[in-house]
Amino acid sequence: MTSKIINMAERIKDAEDRLLESMFESAPIADDGFSVKLVKRVRRRLWLQRLALPVAAVLGGAVAIRPLADLVTAMANLSFSVTSIVPEELVTATAGLIPQAPFVVLGAMLLAVCLLGLRAIDD
Amino acid sequence: MRHSDDHQLVARIVSGQDTAAFGELVRRHQSQVRNFLRKLTGDIALADDLSQDCFMHAWDKIHGFSGRGSFIGWLLKIAYTTFLQSKRKSKRYAEILDEAGHVAEAESKLYSVQPDEVTDLDKLLAVLTDEERAIMVMSYACGLSHREISEATAMPVGSVKSVIFRGKEKIRTSFDIKDHQHG
Repeated sequence: MTSKIINMAERIKDAEDRLLESMFESAPIADDGFSVKLVKRVRRRLWLQRLALPVAAVLGGAVAIRPLADLVTAMANLSFSVTSIVPEELVTATAGLIPQAPFVVLGAMLLAVCLLGLRAIDD
Repeated sequence: MRHSDDHQLVARIVSGQDTAAFGELVRRHQSQVRNFLRKLTGDIALADDLSQDCFMHAWDKIHGFSGRGSFIGWLLKIAYTTFLQSKRKSKRYAEILDEAGHVAEAESKLYSVQPDEVTDLDKLLAVLTDEERAIMVMSYACGLSHREISEATAMPVGSVKSVIFRGKEKIRTSFDIKDHQHG
């Protein structure tokens, strides 16, 4: 009830209010490509947001692949020296099963990038 | 009707990042936002830049639109914040120039109407503070209710009313409104 009275009181305009309204009144501003420019800006930003993660993954992968490969090789050498104390039959049996570690890392990264790319397209 | 249309467009944006729906919202409200900022700054180019920023902020924050009030009220709130941020930035820039011993040419570039383009409204707005100007423009040019202005400026409704009263008082004392009224 109170709010209705307040709203009514707000709607009752005196001559001064009407004069001010007429002074503040101005012709509508033509769009003139304003909205088109803005939508283009928004779309560009959306694409950048969607591309940012996959591009970062690819760049990060490109930078990290070499040290990662070195690390994996070093670990493989270390495990080889460890296996020297393990019975030889056991080592030869499992050696064929171990794939090349750098390729596994690269493959995993490519898979992750593909998945992210697919999700971006899906979005 | 228009209210609910706006809300439907917002729902489309929120659910699927629909840029076409956003474009429609911009087309509908660009005139009011640009008008509001032109009256606040007195500079067409600056106002249009701020309007672009305002709509970009609106896109980023669209999830925060509760749908309780009007969309234009929410939009003008962002426009006013964008204006205040820009003003703070230009003030800081002027201070830096001042400290460096330069003439502060950037000193409050906001509200800088060209002398040959001064209208009655510009003279009228010039006697008001930024806050009074924003509230008076929201009320008399954009047609926002006191409640909507209160939400847009984060001020209590009572304060909005007293700012309007003060603004009118200033205009009344600076200009002979009654003479103007009777021609």
